[in-house]
Amino acid sequence: MVDPDGTAAATQGEGGGHVTVKTYVNVAIVLAIITALEVATLYIPGIPSSLLVGILLVMSALKFYLVVGFFMHLKYDHQIMRALFVGPLMIAIAIILAVMALFSAFLLLPRSH
Amino acid sequence: MADHAATHAVHDPNIGTTGLDHRKMGMWAFLGSDCMFFGSLIGTYLAYKGKSISGPSPRDVFDIPLTSYSAALLLASSLTMVLALAALQDDRVKVAARWLLATAAMGLHFVLNQVYEFWTFVHHHDLTLSTSLFGSSFFVLTGFHGAHVTGGVVWLLLLVGLAWGGRLDKRDHTKVEIAGLYWHFVDIVWIAIFTVIYLIP
Repeated sequence: MVDPDGTAAATQGEGGGHVTVKTYVNVAIVLAIITALEVATLYIPGIPSSLLVGILLVMSALKFYLVVGFFMHLKYDHQIMRALFVGPLMIAIAIILAVMALFSAFLLLPRSH
Repeated sequence: MADHAATHAVHDPNIGTTGLDHRKMGMWAFLGSDCMFFGSLIGTYLAYKGKSISGPSPRDVFDIPLTSYSAALLLASSLTMVLALAALQDDRVKVAARWLLATAAMGLHFVLNQVYEFWTFVHHHDLTLSTSLFGSSFFVLTGFHGAHVTGGVVWLLLLVGLAWGGRLDKRDHTKVEIAGLYWHFVDIVWIAIFTVIYLIP
């Protein structure tokens, strides 16, 4: 059912760009690999906590970008759509950081006592 | 550009003066607000992390292989969702319906995994909503996400019903695209929850 050349079906974003079925499949493969790496990272013996946290956050952000950019077509969509999502997303991240600071929970890294 | 938008506005009531689909803009605005909702819940979980004075800790209860499987299910369902949209845009309605059904099935599987996880926490680990800060913040965060997934499954099944009933065709691709935006959103929320809640020690 998947068009190997990715030429038959393509999704057009409001911004005019195209995403082909081949791109979707490639993105899904990359997402699966990153997820496997995330879980595997947990089992690396002796990895420093701060390094582990950093690696996991980077991989998670990459997965987030791939899904939003390609599956949700935001990479190809109109800038108004991007603003509607990215603006509140930045506020959400600010909320998380503010609540953590409020509770002195700089939790992702070792906290000083 | 303005002429192009005006022409669209005459022919399609869903296209506004910006030349963009109202329904799609509305969904993006909703997803933006939902980001802040989940941001608050994730922030609360992180603020309470390690501050429970009773009950089991996350390390005692989390089943990483099961949760990884659930994460893979949601990621795979995102692929089937975009394949459904691509098939509908290519006017292959039956194929689109099959992909939508596959997406709903994986979503339902995810929800059942979560129900099993919650049941295990309550009955094997004595962790409930009121046991500890960890229990309350964990169940509220993941429970609301599970509710979002459940709503998405119902939405997808309605679309499958429309397709099977001959009431969904290529012209309705925006309906499927909007449902897809919602579905991918629950996926990206899980990407964040999976890493921040389950994987980070």
